[in-house]
Amino acid sequence: MKKKKMLLSSKTMDVDFVRKVEELSGTSVRRCFQCGKCSAGCPMATFMEHPPNRIVRLLQLGQWQRILAGRSIWYCVSCETCSTRCPNKVDLAAIMDALRKLSWDKKEPSKEHYVQLANRLFLENIETYGRQFEMRLAAVFNIKSGQFLKDLMLGPKLLCKGKLKMHQDKNRNIHEIEKIFQRIREMRSKGEAE
Amino acid sequence: MTQDNHLNYAYYPGCSLHASASEYDRSTRELFNALGIGLEEVPDWFCCGATPAHNVDELLSLSLCAKNLDLAKQVNNDMAVACASCFSRMKFTQHILNENQKKRRLVEKAIDGPAHIDGNVKHILEIMARDLGLERLASAVKKPLSGLKVACYYGCLLTRPPEVSKLDDCEAPSIMEDIISAAGAETVQWTHRMECCGANFTLSRPGIVVQLTNAVLNSAKRAGADCIIVACPLCHGNLDMRQEEIEGVYNTSYALPVFYITQLVGLAAGLPAEKLGLDSLMVDPLPMLKKKGLL
Repeated sequence: MKKKKMLLSSKTMDVDFVRKVEELSGTSVRRCFQCGKCSAGCPMATFMEHPPNRIVRLLQLGQWQRILAGRSIWYCVSCETCSTRCPNKVDLAAIMDALRKLSWDKKEPSKEHYVQLANRLFLENIETYGRQFEMRLAAVFNIKSGQFLKDLMLGPKLLCKGKLKMHQDKNRNIHEIEKIFQRIREMRSKGEAE
Repeated sequence: MTQDNHLNYAYYPGCSLHASASEYDRSTRELFNALGIGLEEVPDWFCCGATPAHNVDELLSLSLCAKNLDLAKQVNNDMAVACASCFSRMKFTQHILNENQKKRRLVEKAIDGPAHIDGNVKHILEIMARDLGLERLASAVKKPLSGLKVACYYGCLLTRPPEVSKLDDCEAPSIMEDIISAAGAETVQWTHRMECCGANFTLSRPGIVVQLTNAVLNSAKRAGADCIIVACPLCHGNLDMRQEEIEGVYNTSYALPVFYITQLVGLAAGLPAEKLGLDSLMVDPLPMLKKKGLL
């Protein structure tokens, strides 16, 4: 296979998007001098096509489409190692959050479906029950991701150990939670919030 | 309730402690009761949003935590959190909303009221090591954990990032070692105590979790540990629940019991095994504890 060259042109450069990332994350990508310490400590770097330092480099060059098209941002596990160790105080974990949010809102097609599906189901459970319903989370994830047998053998063992709750009552504060979700949606539709 | 009115907290267990990590909840309550620390559960608390919320929707994450902080403050100005992830999200919310007035205004609009977020958020490790103090903790020990070699696993969110969690040194913490030493155990030095286990990828990408968690288990074993202690339900889930699977994948045997720190300290405080939920652990710790003469 022919190796793709990194091509830079004004067509693929989008600085506005990068400024948005900087605003949401409260951190400047211009501070990074590419020492690579973030990627050296990143537990997920081996699974990413763009390790953390390259994500920042791509942002510096305005090449956000490359980032959003891949899996890397969804493979960040939010362990905060990069942000903790950066000598220039680039809050890379916050940059990852900002990138995921922008990708999520744009409904940009990413190759990584499983992590996004898990996130969506997790948030749905909060809105429905007020608390996390682990059993439903795992069951619906398996069905929707088509992995019906995933961790199936763990189920009975967890049940025996009393670790699997088969029922989740709705939180008595559920109306309060629904209102929070509702107000945020309204704020977004009015353009008051990102 | 306790006689010492300094040590009372609004207790936020978090979702895991009411389900897959129920033994963490149970052992925390039992131990704190034995130590004379009062925990009053925040009424009708709800999910903090954990990693999925802040990953894609910071405003939602901040709003959920701000509301929970408000509920907790109505019970007590000091809040006790056991889950490392809930702890991290509460601390992040305080940190972000104190630094960024624009985000604060948006959150106050979302929760339709002022954000009462200035209570003290404390992880139960801090409560044991600092509020109660190691000396008082040591004086509560009835059955010291003599001869038990423990690997203390911090994982990610207890100490990182340090300006937010303010729990301990971010690269060389000692709070867990201090606590378990006060309970009479030995601690081992090992390489992976701060490395990530893969956390919530246990649902979406378990293959990655198996790989990362194997490295942690392997390191603890090589260091000669009899067991691992944790203070996070996700770390526990990966190290304990997935251990058998990992042994199969890597064709090896670890047989390393993984305890919540409150279970082992509870044992040292003379609490019976059944009150600490030791039977809920997937890697059966009883043979090892009996061999060490601790049961």
